[in-house]
Amino acid sequence: MIKVENLRKRFGSNEVLKGINFEVPPQTILGVIGASGSGKTTLLRCMNGLETITEGSVTCVDVKLQGGQSPAEYKRCVRDLRLKVGTVFQHFYLFPHLSVVGNVIEAPVHVLKTPKKTAVAEAYELLESVGMKHAARRYPESLSGGEQQRVAIARALAMHPALLLLDEPTSALDPRRIATLRGLLRGFAEKGHTMIIISHSIGFLGGVSDNLLYMEGGHVVEHGPTEQVLNAPKDPRVKEFISQAE
Amino acid sequence: MSRPAGEDACAPKKMHRKTFKAAVTLSILIICALPIHAQQTLRWGADPSGGAPYVYTDPANPENYIGYEKEMVDALAQAMGRRAEFVPSDWETLVSALQRNSFDVIVNGLEPTGDRAQQIAFSNPYYVFQLQLTVRRDDDRIHSIDDCKKRIVGTLGNTAASRILQQQGIPFRSYQDPVGAYRDLELKRIDAVVMDVPAEAFYARDNPKLKQAGSPFSRGTYVIGLRKGDDALKADVDKAIEKIITDGTLERILTKWKLWNDAQVEFQNSVKTKTAPTVPFEMTNSSFNWGEALMRLTRAALVTVSLALGSMIIAVTLGLPLAVGQWNGPRWLKVICTVYVEFFRGTPVLVQLLFLYFGLPMVTGIGMPGWLTALVGLGLNYAAYESQVYRAALEAIPKGQWEASYSLGMSPLLAFRRIILPQAFRIALPPMTNDFVSLFKDTSVAFAISVWELATAYRELANASGQFLLLGVIVSLFYLAMSLPMARLAGMLEKRLSNRSIERVDEAEVTA
Repeated sequence: MIKVENLRKRFGSNEVLKGINFEVPPQTILGVIGASGSGKTTLLRCMNGLETITEGSVTCVDVKLQGGQSPAEYKRCVRDLRLKVGTVFQHFYLFPHLSVVGNVIEAPVHVLKTPKKTAVAEAYELLESVGMKHAARRYPESLSGGEQQRVAIARALAMHPALLLLDEPTSALDPRRIATLRGLLRGFAEKGHTMIIISHSIGFLGGVSDNLLYMEGGHVVEHGPTEQVLNAPKDPRVKEFISQAE
Repeated sequence: MSRPAGEDACAPKKMHRKTFKAAVTLSILIICALPIHAQQTLRWGADPSGGAPYVYTDPANPENYIGYEKEMVDALAQAMGRRAEFVPSDWETLVSALQRNSFDVIVNGLEPTGDRAQQIAFSNPYYVFQLQLTVRRDDDRIHSIDDCKKRIVGTLGNTAASRILQQQGIPFRSYQDPVGAYRDLELKRIDAVVMDVPAEAFYARDNPKLKQAGSPFSRGTYVIGLRKGDDALKADVDKAIEKIITDGTLERILTKWKLWNDAQVEFQNSVKTKTAPTVPFEMTNSSFNWGEALMRLTRAALVTVSLALGSMIIAVTLGLPLAVGQWNGPRWLKVICTVYVEFFRGTPVLVQLLFLYFGLPMVTGIGMPGWLTALVGLGLNYAAYESQVYRAALEAIPKGQWEASYSLGMSPLLAFRRIILPQAFRIALPPMTNDFVSLFKDTSVAFAISVWELATAYRELANASGQFLLLGVIVSLFYLAMSLPMARLAGMLEKRLSNRSIERVDEAEVTA
């Protein structure tokens, strides 16, 4: 579904990503884990085109974003890539001037040119699937953090992305809500969605992801099935991180 | 009629020698007495701006005032045994300043009128003036005031000339000083100017682009204005006027200023022989009535509203590109926008208007009419302020809103239009409302370029009638009646904006 090859990102002389390689099979969840400053947020921002790639490539379905493309070509690829990749930001960034359903239909109506009637019907379905149908006409400011997050998930899914990125989804949630979110995301995976979840919560990722990727210092240190990475990490650094988290 | 003037001129010469001796003696006496008794002053008020040849700043020595009335007052004061002290003032407010005791007398080519007579007392006349019509040299349509029925004539506000024009139903525009009127005539903003002959002689007669149309008409007199009840001073002033007429001092001064003419000969002879003048002098009355005043105020209020609305539309429209350019444009555009904003915010709007109205035509040769100048000037000025309101609002939108829009596949333009601008507009609306109310009041600076808006109307009507208090209340009510609904409208707009998206989705829901 998505393939990252030899991805490098430099800010001036500071190399944050030092050649990342991995692939996410369809209908699976990849958990990206690592300490702060390991480069995981930069990796996410490269995958939805919010940061330019210095070297290497990100391929999603039939769109290949590559370092060193001409600006015009790069721009076109970024736009195509963003239609394939949906993002749920750590702070959600709902549009405060639009109602919940307004947030969900905004991009389908104005980017995909979906007729408003269709978009609204679909928005209500999505809101129902995240348990937010009752709040469809409310405004973001009247919602709790967890509710805002679920609206943000519905908003991203309304664009039918091939891949959904979630940045630190547990940071604004209490333990009970974290359990609800885990169930919600597993449900989406079973319905055929592919996801990458960035988090530093091993507990959450252990329960939700099919595969785990551990990053440190801009490198992929370990990448494998969740069970294996958690229970029998090959690299001592991963072992240490897990033991500290527990 | 010019012969007697010559014969008469000899007699005052002898008398002058006598006065001179007397004056010297008097001066010596005064100088001796000075340490004990300070000489009494005669404080006189007049408007020296554009005031030639009456009283004006000496171009050779800006510390000094000169003019025929200046010399005349000096002579009068001397005859009264006083020391003249000039109090520079403003023509439109001379009467009220006199009543406030800012000075003792008005000497400023003041004509006696019925309405002024209700507020102040007049001395005997000292000068007979006539009016002169001036047109552009190439104009062959206008030969007399009767040809002006459908044209705009410029004149000084609240003068005999303006009242005659008003009575004859000729559309006219009031100016603060003759310079502005004649310049607008040159610039074709108006078709003719009517002015008292002294001013016309000084400002227009030698201008190659202008010419006199017809001969002088409508005689009137200049008198000295005094506070009512100041009878002793009035008696002194009248005596002094008679003295400087009979001893030839005034004739000498007028001759020096090229203002000696047949009308003066006739008038001075009647004074000297204590007979009534053969030609009666016309006395104009301002036809002030409340009905007409209210109508003119309403018209002025409409001008004010149109000015405010028009300027705000310009400001709001021009402010957005300025804001975007300064906020997110390439470097050169940022520089241009910043220079624009700092220029218009850093200089007074009054100076900008005067520049647009008087300065620009000197460069381009094209003069915009006053209302258009005010509209454009205020619009350009407020665009600078609006751009800063927008810029602050745009900068207040978190970066995450952009990123969220982009990651939903929106182009920068779509994100700006659909996501950023509506949020920024909401932030900008309250300060914009504020600006609009203050722009609304700022339209009053347009009086400086003779636009007949509410403040100008107040000034002119109040000066003509003396009803500063009552008219002031009425004008304030006019302003309030217009600004309060505006504030309410802005409030409703704010509310509507925050509801708009709900309504929009509701519609969609119904169809769903």
